Amino acid sequence: MSKPIRIALTKGRLEKDTIALLEKLGFDCTAVREKGRKLILPIPDGNLEVVLAKAMDVITYVDRGVCDLGVVGKDTIMESNGRFYELVDLGFGRCKFALAGKKGENFYEGFGVKTIATKYPNVTRNFFEGKGMDIDIVKIEGSVELAPLLDLANGIVDIVETGTTLKENGLEVYEDVAPISARLIANTVSLKLRQQEIESLISLIESKL
Amino acid sequence: MKSYDTITPEGTKDLLFNECIARRNVENSIHKVFKQHGYSEIITPGLEFFDVFNLNSRHFPQENMYKLVDNKGRLLVLRPDSTMPIARVVATRLKDAILPLRLYYNQCVYNISPQLRGRSDQIVQAGIELIGSSSDMADLEVIGMAIDVLNTCSDGNYSIEIGDSGIFKELVAELNISDDMKENIRYLIEQKNYPALNDLLDTIGDNKITKSLKKLPRLFGNVDVLDKASNLFINKQIDMYLTDLKSVYENVKQLYPNANISIDLGMVNRADYYTGIIIKGYVEGCGDEVLSGGRYDKLIAEFGYDVPATGFAINVDAVSQMVAKKKKISNIPVDIIVFAENGFEMKAMQVAQDMRNKGLNVENSFIDDLESVREYAREKKIPKIIIINDDVTEVQ
Repeated sequence: MSKPIRIALTKGRLEKDTIALLEKLGFDCTAVREKGRKLILPIPDGNLEVVLAKAMDVITYVDRGVCDLGVVGKDTIMESNGRFYELVDLGFGRCKFALAGKKGENFYEGFGVKTIATKYPNVTRNFFEGKGMDIDIVKIEGSVELAPLLDLANGIVDIVETGTTLKENGLEVYEDVAPISARLIANTVSLKLRQQEIESLISLIESKL
Repeated sequence: MKSYDTITPEGTKDLLFNECIARRNVENSIHKVFKQHGYSEIITPGLEFFDVFNLNSRHFPQENMYKLVDNKGRLLVLRPDSTMPIARVVATRLKDAILPLRLYYNQCVYNISPQLRGRSDQIVQAGIELIGSSSDMADLEVIGMAIDVLNTCSDGNYSIEIGDSGIFKELVAELNISDDMKENIRYLIEQKNYPALNDLLDTIGDNKITKSLKKLPRLFGNVDVLDKASNLFINKQIDMYLTDLKSVYENVKQLYPNANISIDLGMVNRADYYTGIIIKGYVEGCGDEVLSGGRYDKLIAEFGYDVPATGFAINVDAVSQMVAKKKKISNIPVDIIVFAENGFEMKAMQVAQDMRNKGLNVENSFIDDLESVREYAREKKIPKIIIINDDVTEVQ
């Protein structure tokens, strides 16, 4: 049998959703479910090999061609700038990027340059560049919601799922930036050199979505 | 102030010993193919005026170029590509030269690549430019040479793809949309971003063209995709492109029955640079394409000389690294080390020089005792030691 197709999965919820999807396709994912501390796991009957990684690393591995395929959120794709093919919207892991801030305030009011706190500086920069707006970006690692409350920023750009955290802190969504869901990505060379295997896997996946 | 005197800038590296051998071997085998086809070498300066790369087609984003300022305050760049400088030379010094011109190059190009991905900013590229012919034979020559080059570099583990830049242009020309929108569509097709492409095209409307554009990135693989495509696109001009591609494909197959060639109609390069057939090459073990090229009939006209051209470039560094990884290339030891006993140093130098003149590779030993010389020779795998005193003694 040829070398297995290596697929990098984003650890956590996307990993579980992807494994569920693969099992729905009839693959035996026992090794992945009982992984212990292993990071490279076989799915022998699909000639697949699963690599578990953090979201940004999934992109790096696929970009550099050490993994043929990857499952990663659109949020990570938008924040990175790798070279790969984005083949399938897997439909799960749905949420959105949104611009939010203190409830009842008009974000666009006034002539001053606005300050935005975010974990996603590239997404933020691209969003406001598209509007032709200069902004100051402050990169925050933890709870971004704090920034407008502490008056560090006029608003935040962050992932919003239910909006509960925003509401509980007296914040609201001003504007949607982009929808997010899990994507299947492929290395540009792998797709060409192993076209048949990858395409048959993709059509199998697409048939179950 | 922090000193950076012990490291190289990000995106650059020193090549040592067997890495150099691997690269030179790759270069030599590529040059051999070029010379066999009658191509002559051209070397252009590493520094060029920014204007050379500031084309209408905006193929070179300014944020990706290394920039400097000359002593008159003019903007310079480290060349991000070799085709533009060659187009400049062709349109100036070679304007009256007899056509076709067959030129090859082997030099560094510089691009600022995304940080922390382990990519190089300085890459050695080898390539050809065939200038002055728009014939099918010219396309065939270039594709054939690309196959030869990939084949010699990868022991047959390569794949080459052809497409035509005209198909996408023809399709979007029929849509009444802005240039920005066209560029967005092109980008999504290039990225094979099926979901986003579908969403974007749905906002334009559901018609024959948008349906065709949705299919375009999926049209790659063996020659059958050409038939699939001709059923899909009802457009005389596109039919012509497809027929041309098919005949190119068949001709290549006739000349190179074992060529691993396929079609990708979703190859859509930026705007106006390419005007006909596009080529891409991949080798196993490299995560990026290693070869790219195609026909660019309008480019040299931007420098004031309207002449058709085609060519390709191959990433020598990527191929060499792949070769170095696959095959163990060890440093080739010298044939002989010459050891002089005390007082016979000049004689030893003379003997060594005589042997070099006979074509041997010879090292002078600066070590004092014979036992250490033996150990050194063992370590460096030098097969012979010559001991110089009153006599000249050879030991293994």
